[in-house]
Amino acid sequence: MDHTATTSNDPPLRPDEPLLQRRAERRWWPTLAVAGVVLVVVFGGFVTAAALSEQAGAPVTVGSSVTVQPLSGWVTADTTPVGDLPFARMTRGGGNLDVVVVPGYGGAAGDLAHDYVDRVLQQELTRLSVSDALETVTLLDGSVAQRFHYVGATDTGQSVEGEVTAVVTASGDGVVFDGWAPEGLLAFVDGDLHTMIDRAVFA
Amino acid sequence: MSASAARPARRRRSDLHQTRFLQPRQPAFWLYVVIVFLTASVTLAEQGFYRDISAAGWALSWVLLLVYALPVFLVVYYLDLYEREPLPLVFAALVWGAVAATTLSAIANGGWGLVVARVAGPEFAARWTAALTAPLVEETLKGIGVVLIYLIARDEVDDVMDGFVYGAVCGLGFAVVEDVFYFMSVFGGQPSGVLNGFFLRVIASGLYSHVLYTGLVGMGIGFVVSRRSDVSHARRVWVCAGLCALAVFAHFLWNSPWLDLFPAGPWTLGDWPVVFGATAVKGMPLLVFVGVAVWLARGREHRWLQATLADEVGRGGLSQGELEQLEDPGLRRRARREMRRRAGRRAATLLHRLQREQVNLAMVRSRVPDATDPALARQRAYCASLRDALQAIPGAAPAGSSAGAAGRPGVPGPLDGAG
Repeated sequence: MDHTATTSNDPPLRPDEPLLQRRAERRWWPTLAVAGVVLVVVFGGFVTAAALSEQAGAPVTVGSSVTVQPLSGWVTADTTPVGDLPFARMTRGGGNLDVVVVPGYGGAAGDLAHDYVDRVLQQELTRLSVSDALETVTLLDGSVAQRFHYVGATDTGQSVEGEVTAVVTASGDGVVFDGWAPEGLLAFVDGDLHTMIDRAVFA
Repeated sequence: MSASAARPARRRRSDLHQTRFLQPRQPAFWLYVVIVFLTASVTLAEQGFYRDISAAGWALSWVLLLVYALPVFLVVYYLDLYEREPLPLVFAALVWGAVAATTLSAIANGGWGLVVARVAGPEFAARWTAALTAPLVEETLKGIGVVLIYLIARDEVDDVMDGFVYGAVCGLGFAVVEDVFYFMSVFGGQPSGVLNGFFLRVIASGLYSHVLYTGLVGMGIGFVVSRRSDVSHARRVWVCAGLCALAVFAHFLWNSPWLDLFPAGPWTLGDWPVVFGATAVKGMPLLVFVGVAVWLARGREHRWLQATLADEVGRGGLSQGELEQLEDPGLRRRARREMRRRAGRRAATLLHRLQREQVNLAMVRSRVPDATDPALARQRAYCASLRDALQAIPGAAPAGSSAGAAGRPGVPGPLDGAG
């Protein structure tokens, strides 16, 4: 058997060509397979994580201004108002999402963020450090929010880190989302936090 | 013999071996180019960011890592005793590891980290994400670099050692860029932090990192693509899967909280021996395993060279004495030194070239159907022309030898005395 025989359309084989005939049609498949593996490995995690972020449990309405849908694994831990401000805390292990509503706030989201630092974080945390600039983010319903990060310590000495998102609704109510966790854990819940905040429904 | 008659024939070497990296007709080449081009912009932006944080720390990081990487590169490259891989392909593997694999891994680790946190909660994720995501993600993406090199230049990955070289170099590129990230982001980026990072990540644990993991993955790929003729498909796949799984497990063990014997920080001078011990506990078993695997692969290469060239002795391209010399890298080096002393630098260079072409003679022999193949005859003639050119240099041929002796089996060739 002549292993080097080619059909009339094939280019001539090189002297050191493998003994079996070259199969040009195979060259595309391995490359496409490699490209597929790269796509699955690089983006598969995000797709899977999104698929796992199912809504679970009853929606939590805070005041009459905002409704938050907990994702699977999150439970409502506390809905006791803080002073006269409607409040809810959802938790999942070390991660927490506090939602505070300021009825009839009237100001801008940036002012609300600054007020939250002055009236809440400064009062509750020691060694507080807040990120220099506010970041403007747009939520899924088109609401424009202001976001900043902080680290501090509780009165028990535990270091915590958090991310605050402040929104003023169309009706003028202020809504503050404070996602926080023990230092080092926030990165592992911020995907859930962003999903729940993005999907929040404002009155 | 006139000098012109002795001049070796010039020809395009890639016709027979040493496939080029630039292969526009190969889809894999374009996939490689597109991915490296896209990820390079991210890598460059990241390096610019680090430079802005601390130019001195960033420059020191690169200087220290080059001091580490250059010898590692040379050791890996020269481990392949008989058939050195083409440098453009080796550098392509290095660039894939440094640019594409690092950038894609950073994205992928983020995504799969979300999955771990979603499934098991933040506390578990904080302890285990690095162990559960990085080994699979990074070994896959680095291994894909070796697969692409194979798809671009199939003829060049024709042995387990070849796979090891491409894999280890790819891992080296990855390790260097990852270390810059750690020095600048985790160790603070200032020169003192960079030095601390260099001590921990390179001096104390540099032997056990990505070079070994991806070297092992490369060996698996080399095994599966180069042993078609003598190993069943199923066995090749299982061996490859086993080697890749071992690399992933070793990486997992390194990243996991298991066997974590590191002393509590901040470390003092007295803690450093404990740090060395802690890294050795996690990394030494794999280093030993890879060392044994490389030793076995080199032995196999040696046997391959012996078996392939045995029939070539006396056919014009190789004498018995030259074969004996060829089989022993130490003898080859000594022969070149002796030739240089006896006949000068040009003769030693020519002898080096002859030795390389005689190894290539083995490659050509293994790729053609029989000993009468015209390609093989051309390679024999090329080796003979190199030998003639060498003999024409005054002092190169030992006294009493003749050109004709080179081709007769069992009779020492003109270069045998050099050993």
